[in-house]
Amino acid sequence: MTQRSRRALERGAAWTSDPELMQQLAKGQLGALGELYDRYQAPLRSFIGRATRDAHDVDDLLHATFLAAAKSAPRYDGRSCCRPWLIGVAAQLLRQRRRAFGRFGELLAVLKGAALPLADPGSQLQARGDVERALATLSDAKRITLLMAEVEGLSCEEIAEALSIPIGTVWTRLHAARRELRQVLGTGKDVP
Amino acid sequence: MARSTSPTCARVFEAEAARDGRLTGAARAHFEAHAAGCASCAQEARGLEELARALRKSGTAGETDELHVRRERTRLLAAFDASLIPRPREGHAKRWLAFGLAAAMLSGLLWLRARAEVPAPSKGGPADVIVPAASLAKVEAEAGARWTRRIDDGFERIVLESGTLAVRVTHASPSRRLLVVLPDGELEDIGTVFTVTADAGHTTAVRVQEGRVVLRLRDQPPRQLVAGENWTPAPAPEKSAAPPLVPRAAPVAPRRADAAADFRVALSALNAAESARAAALFTAFLSEHPGDSRTEDAAYLRVIALQRAGKLAEMRSAAGAYLSRYPRGFRRAEVEPLAGAAQ
Repeated sequence: MTQRSRRALERGAAWTSDPELMQQLAKGQLGALGELYDRYQAPLRSFIGRATRDAHDVDDLLHATFLAAAKSAPRYDGRSCCRPWLIGVAAQLLRQRRRAFGRFGELLAVLKGAALPLADPGSQLQARGDVERALATLSDAKRITLLMAEVEGLSCEEIAEALSIPIGTVWTRLHAARRELRQVLGTGKDVP
Repeated sequence: MARSTSPTCARVFEAEAARDGRLTGAARAHFEAHAAGCASCAQEARGLEELARALRKSGTAGETDELHVRRERTRLLAAFDASLIPRPREGHAKRWLAFGLAAAMLSGLLWLRARAEVPAPSKGGPADVIVPAASLAKVEAEAGARWTRRIDDGFERIVLESGTLAVRVTHASPSRRLLVVLPDGELEDIGTVFTVTADAGHTTAVRVQEGRVVLRLRDQPPRQLVAGENWTPAPAPEKSAAPPLVPRAAPVAPRRADAAADFRVALSALNAAESARAAALFTAFLSEHPGDSRTEDAAYLRVIALQRAGKLAEMRSAAGAYLSRYPRGFRRAEVEPLAGAAQ
């Protein structure tokens, strides 16, 4: 429970369930978006940050996720917790972003990676620990898929729908991601 | 997190299949029974779970600066507000003027063509029934009625000059609302069947068969009419302000406080750049629905409406009232500068 929600309960305000909140948002009630943000900005920010390797536009992507969620609120499926649904919205935006960047973005990422000495992957990653460093070595597609499955708890069917890919591709990415992570964490060597 | 160190079982790959949902039903149960007695498969399943646990744990390290979160929250809500309340564009006047002139010429040509095809309203002719392809509603106009229809910016507007229209909403649209523009106000439909009559610049009757409408006449508070209600104006005194109009038809259902409709009406006025009226409507909302969850939004939007109406003294007062009532409000950051705005 967020600090703001706790304060709301202390004031005697009624706790609004996620489905009710989404209904209010679908009706255009402005406060509902604020409440949704309070509840889920932290996990969404974490997901987006890890999925994009802390890109400079994490805040913008977070905003775009909530605005897209507000627009799609009438189609919310009514599940008791909307965090997985929000993750799906964020994943769709990340996919669109990746496609928009295209080859230019990949080139930039390669150049950026080449600028860092192999012996020191970067103080930011170093500070985060081995798992985060290993996660950063995965491709965007594998990393996002793995985070959605293992951290956010989405089913493979939900991931396939959110990313608009066949479920077989989800399974393949998960298998490859786990194998690569285990290799990096097990042997300490980067995977080419 | 390491792979199994036991002699590898031929079925070890099923551990991942079970985890990803590829193995279901009897096959899954069979594997789980097998894994209970197989060290290799059990270790593989544990290894996968440990990897997942490590991923979840590593993502929780570090907290975001609270101040940064609040700033971003304010930015998000401002962006959301902007998407709901489009502000008049500035700096495109010439371009839009040229576009408007061209559109007006084209509309005039089409109108002339339409007049040539559709008989003008006559006193004794049959009712006109028109349902344009993109319309939300079917309109039956009694003979002699003068009216037009247009669709723009999220609204379908049926403009009634005189006569009687029977309106039936044929389908709802989350992106568009239906307004009947009257000589002395407007009628907002909330998914319904109704009849409205206007004469000599005044609305003379509204009858609701299904659903409900909100009737807004100039210088009068909005009025919600529900199914079965018939409204006609009381005789208005000369020159002085008209007394509150009372629905004459019986039975008159007690007016239900519908906060959602009242809020939407006020927001609609703000959206239509009727800032002074919007401010009055938000003030009325706060008075009539003090316990509603939208009171904070209404208090904030009243401040914005007063700002847009140029009523700066009232704006500062309203801003002060907002800050006093909502010391930790969603809009505190936006309202504080307005409360202290110089004259």
